[in-house]
Formats: sequence, structure tokens, C-alpha cells
Amino acid sequence: MDRILIVEDDSETAEAIAREVRALGCTPVWHATLDEGVAAATEGGEFRVIVLDRMLPGGDGVEAMARIRAGGSRALILVLSALGRAAQRVEGLEKGADDYLPKPFEPEELRARLRALLRRGTIEVLDNDLLAFGDLEIRLKARTVHVRRNHVAVSPKEFELITFFARNAGQVVTRMQLLENVWNLHFDPGTNVVDVHVGRLRRKLEEAGAQAIQTARGEGYIFAPLRAN
Amino acid sequence: MSGDRPWAARATLRLTLLLAAAVAALSLLAMALQYRLVEDRMTEAARATLTADLGGLAALYEQRRIIALRQAIEYRGAARNGGEMLLLLDRRGNVLAGTEAGWPPGLTASGSGFTIDPAAEFTSGGTRWLGVARELPGGFPLLVARSLAPVDDTLAALRRGMAALGLALLLAGGGVGWLAARSVMGRIGRVNDLADRVAAGDLSARLPGPRSHDEFGLLETHVHAMLDRIENLNRATHRLSDNIAHELRTPLNRLMQKLSRIEGQEEVVDDLRAEIRQSIRVFDSLLDISRAEADQGTGGGLVPVSLSDVAQEVWELYEPLAEDKGLLPHASIAPGLQVLGDRNLIAQMISNLIDNAIKYCGPGDALRLTLSEGEGRHLMQLADTGPGLPADLRAEAFERFTRAERDRDRGIKGHGLGLALVRAIAARHGAKIDLPAAEKGFVLDIAWPKLAP
Repeated sequence: MDRILIVEDDSETAEAIAREVRALGCTPVWHATLDEGVAAATEGGEFRVIVLDRMLPGGDGVEAMARIRAGGSRALILVLSALGRAAQRVEGLEKGADDYLPKPFEPEELRARLRALLRRGTIEVLDNDLLAFGDLEIRLKARTVHVRRNHVAVSPKEFELITFFARNAGQVVTRMQLLENVWNLHFDPGTNVVDVHVGRLRRKLEEAGAQAIQTARGEGYIFAPLRAN
Repeated sequence: MSGDRPWAARATLRLTLLLAAAVAALSLLAMALQYRLVEDRMTEAARATLTADLGGLAALYEQRRIIALRQAIEYRGAARNGGEMLLLLDRRGNVLAGTEAGWPPGLTASGSGFTIDPAAEFTSGGTRWLGVARELPGGFPLLVARSLAPVDDTLAALRRGMAALGLALLLAGGGVGWLAARSVMGRIGRVNDLADRVAAGDLSARLPGPRSHDEFGLLETHVHAMLDRIENLNRATHRLSDNIAHELRTPLNRLMQKLSRIEGQEEVVDDLRAEIRQSIRVFDSLLDISRAEADQGTGGGLVPVSLSDVAQEVWELYEPLAEDKGLLPHASIAPGLQVLGDRNLIAQMISNLIDNAIKYCGPGDALRLTLSEGEGRHLMQLADTGPGLPADLRAEAFERFTRAERDRDRGIKGHGLGLALVRAIAARHGAKIDLPAAEKGFVLDIAWPKLAP
């Protein structure tokens, strides 16, 4: 079973994270201080993902990422912190975090992020030019989308959107993830601008005959073209 | 700033020049008094000599009248030294004896005694003389005079000396003034340079080297103390916002986790989550505002950013939303305009503005974003034909928690922080915000400083 390291000083939060980890079928390992966490990450065997807090007894998790990497860990790092303003998120990502989720977080959001990271660990290589999901075909180099061999005209942003969906096919993708990954924006605009874009893409695909994108209530969206057919 | 410095230096220079001129004037006055004194004394001495001469001649005249005078003048004339003039004529104007060939023109004899008064000053042979012209009984004109040339020479030398000294005083005063102005301005200039650097955002700038033990050193020490305090306050603001974030988000986080364990009341849970998200947004905005204000002017954290690209991206994010709401969106964004900035903050700012416009405008309203290159700045304008700002709100539109009554009435949600954040982010980037008068709707101009190529 995959192991996920949780470095978090608030026990209640740690328990909530652990619940999500177990829900994904992984084993949580919890440490409450930075030094213990770094020691576990570098000497405690292989972890798939490390969920790292920032304001910890012993220091800032973001500053410790270099130590974790230097210690030989190849785990993906998800920073989960109360320091959640845009600048701090960008700082965390620039210093080597693979994802950054601000507190308070919704459990579904964390689950989606963890799942995306676990997935990234397995199918990192997508050098294949063609992403095919039944009747739906995405050509990465030509940047085209076809449904039942008919071309579907999408805008550049919509293409990036469908590509991101495709890479996380079958998983819940949250609005926040879309905003961060497709638009590279690290703040909460308040309005659900993303919904409009997803809605347009979805309509285009449905008109062409692919029920590819579904809403996951309260969580986000799921790209699941196979199930639709 | 530095361009104004020669004017400031001129003020100091002017002061020292004034002082130098006053000192020079006082010295000249003192010298003039002395000059007058010397002139009086020397004229007095000339009169005394003349009186003595007259006394001698009077004694001779007492003994043997004209004969004795004539002998004495001849004798004295033979030993002429140029310093005295003696002349005795007969009734017909012929020279009986004397140092001169003829009576000096323009001089008339008066009186007949050997007293000094009345004496006359006259010019002959290019020099001034002090003399007495008499007509002795029997019609013998007599002239006895002493040259004033030594007096004039001495006075002329004195005048030359005074002129030279006055000039030297002025030059010295000016020179000392210039040196003093330069040294004072040098010291003040250091403090001014420091103030410029701090104003430009470098709060940790300090003057190198030790402080001297004069008022300039004291000024520098005071300025340093002030800067230390400002820097500490700034650091405290940063620390405080991190601590607030931590202390407030941790309990909210627990709340969020506990909510997820509630089953069967999904709507209530969703509402509560939305409320939590909303509270986070409010205090994030507040923290963003105070952080942007604290960082205002500091170049730290700003990198070259393509303003055109950010504007285009945010516009594309919101355009479909505007279209769906029935607005008529139109963007005209000049490509390739660069600023020194924080991409996320700029995106947040533009997003705030467009979001506001979409919120307040109705179907059929136009929404326009323009970005163009101006004379010295990049000009960004966001304009809509919606309801615009209420007139009474224009002045305080950018203050925190300013909300129009009518929005509350219409049920438009908001916390009144949007424009405050816009202003803070603009200030952080040195951009100027302006609300030009518009016939209809809301128009906002932002003039961004260009990134030096």
C-alpha cells in the first residue's frame, strides 16, 4: 500500500488529512514537528506524497523542502498551510512544492489534489501525441479535438482545459485546480468564472456527441468520456 | 530630488555671501574712518609747517622789511626741495625772489599779515598746495605755500590698500562661503540621498561610516532612529498578517473538517462552507491590502511582467461570463507592454475590476478594457455603461468597507474591499488611479509606470 507522510502540528487537521488518505487507499504516517517529519521523509522509507504544513514547531515546511529533497526523498510534496495568500502560494510552488493548498481546505479539494499527485507519480509520461477516450480524440501537437472523427473547434484556453481534464480522466477536478493549472491564477475570484468556461466546452462536446464532462456535486468536475458512452 | 539640489546649495551660498559682504562692508567703514583721520592729521601737519614758515618770515620782515624777506627767500629758493613754494613780487608784478617764475594763475592775494588764516588750497604743476597769498604793505605780493603732495601720496596709497583689502575680503568671504556651502550641502546631501532611497522603497538603507559629534551627526542619528522604527513597524505588519492568517485559519479549518462529517444536511453544509470561504476572502483581502500598502514603494518581489499578457488572460477568463450576462464586452489590448510587477496581484486587481463591472451592469451594457502605450506610462482603462458610482461615493470609493446603499437594497453581495484592494495594488506598483468624469457608467484609469527597457 502507498504511504503518505503527514507533517502537521494540529492533531484535528492531521486526523482529517489521514481520513482522506485512507479514503484513497493509502497509509497515513503522521508527525507533528518539522524535524521529525524531515527525518521520517529522509530515513523512514519511501513515501508517495508528503503533506507538509508551514508554520510548524521547528520551522517553516517550505524552507525544509530542500532538506527533504537533499535527503533523497522522491515523494511529491503538497504544502497545506494557513499561509494561503497568492504570493505565499507562488513562493511555495517556486521553492519546489508540487501543489499548494491553503487552509481551511475542503476535504474533497484535498482528496482531488492527492489523487492528482498520486496519478502523476504513475502516468507521468504523456509523450504520446494522441489522447483517445473512445470517440473523443485529442491531438496534443496539432492542438485539435475530434469527436466521432468530426473536428470540434475549441479556443486555446478550452484546449488547455480539455487537456488538463484528460490528464486527470476519471478523477474529480476542482474549480480551484482548474484556475491554478489552466489559468495560472492563485487567488479566489469569488465568482465561479471557471463554470462558464467548463460549460461552454461541455456544450461543444455534447453537441458533437460526447458526454465527456460531468459535474461532481459540491466538488468540481469529472472527465469520464468512457462511462458516458 | 537631486535636480533641486543646486537651488538648495544656492541658499546656503547666498547666506555665506551675505555674511562675507557684511564683514567686508564693516571693515571698509572702519578703514574709511581711519582714512579720514589720517587725512585730517596730515593736513594739520602741513598747516603747522606753513605756520612755522610764516613765523620765520614774519620775524625777518619785522627786522628789515622787504630786503630781509628777499634775501631769505633767495637763500631758501637756492636750496629748493620742491616741498615749498615762496614768491615775492614788487609793485609791478616783477619777481623779486622766489622758487617760481610767476604768480600762479587764479590765486589772488588777500590780507597783509603773516597769520596762517585765511589759507588757500590751489593746484600748480600738477600738485596741490596749501598756501597763503598776501600783499605786504607797499604793494608787495607774497606767496608762501607748502606742497600737499606727501599728503596726497599717502592718501592715495591708503586708498589703494583699502581697495585691495576690500577685494581680498570679498574674495575670501566668497571663497569661505563656497567652501562652507559645499561642505554643508555635502552633509545634507547625504541625508537627502538616504531619504530618496527610502522613499524609493529601500527601507533598510542607512548611511555608512560613524556619526560625527555635531548637529549633522545628530540629524543622521535621528533619521536612522526614525528609519529603524519604520522598518520595525513594517516587519511587524508582515509578521502580524502571517500570525492572523495562522490563528484564524486553523480554527476555521477545524470547523470545515467537522462540517464534512455532518451527513444528510448537504444544503446547510454547503451554505456554511460558502460562508467560511467568504470570511476567508474578506480577511485575505484585508491582509492583501495592508501587505500591499506596507510594501508600497519597495521594489522587493516585483519582476518584469507583461501587463498585456496578464490583462489578456484575465479578460479571456471573464469575457464568457460577461457575454452570458448579456453585456457587450470589448477589449483592445496593445501587445508587449511590460511593467515591474507581481503577476498575481495585477491579475487580482484586473479581475476585481471586471468582476465588479459584471456584477453591477445589466444586459445591453457595454464593458470595455483598453490598454495602450501612453507618453510616459502604460494607460489602462476599464469602462462600462452601467449605473456608475453614486456621486456621494466618489470621494471615498477606494476606502475599505465603502458600499453603496443601493447595492445593499438591490442585494448585490460584496464586502466593500474590492476597490480598496485595487488602490493598494496600484500603489504597490507605483501606478496612478484616476476616476475621470463619465457621462454614463463607471470609468477607471490606471497609469502604470513603464519598465525601463
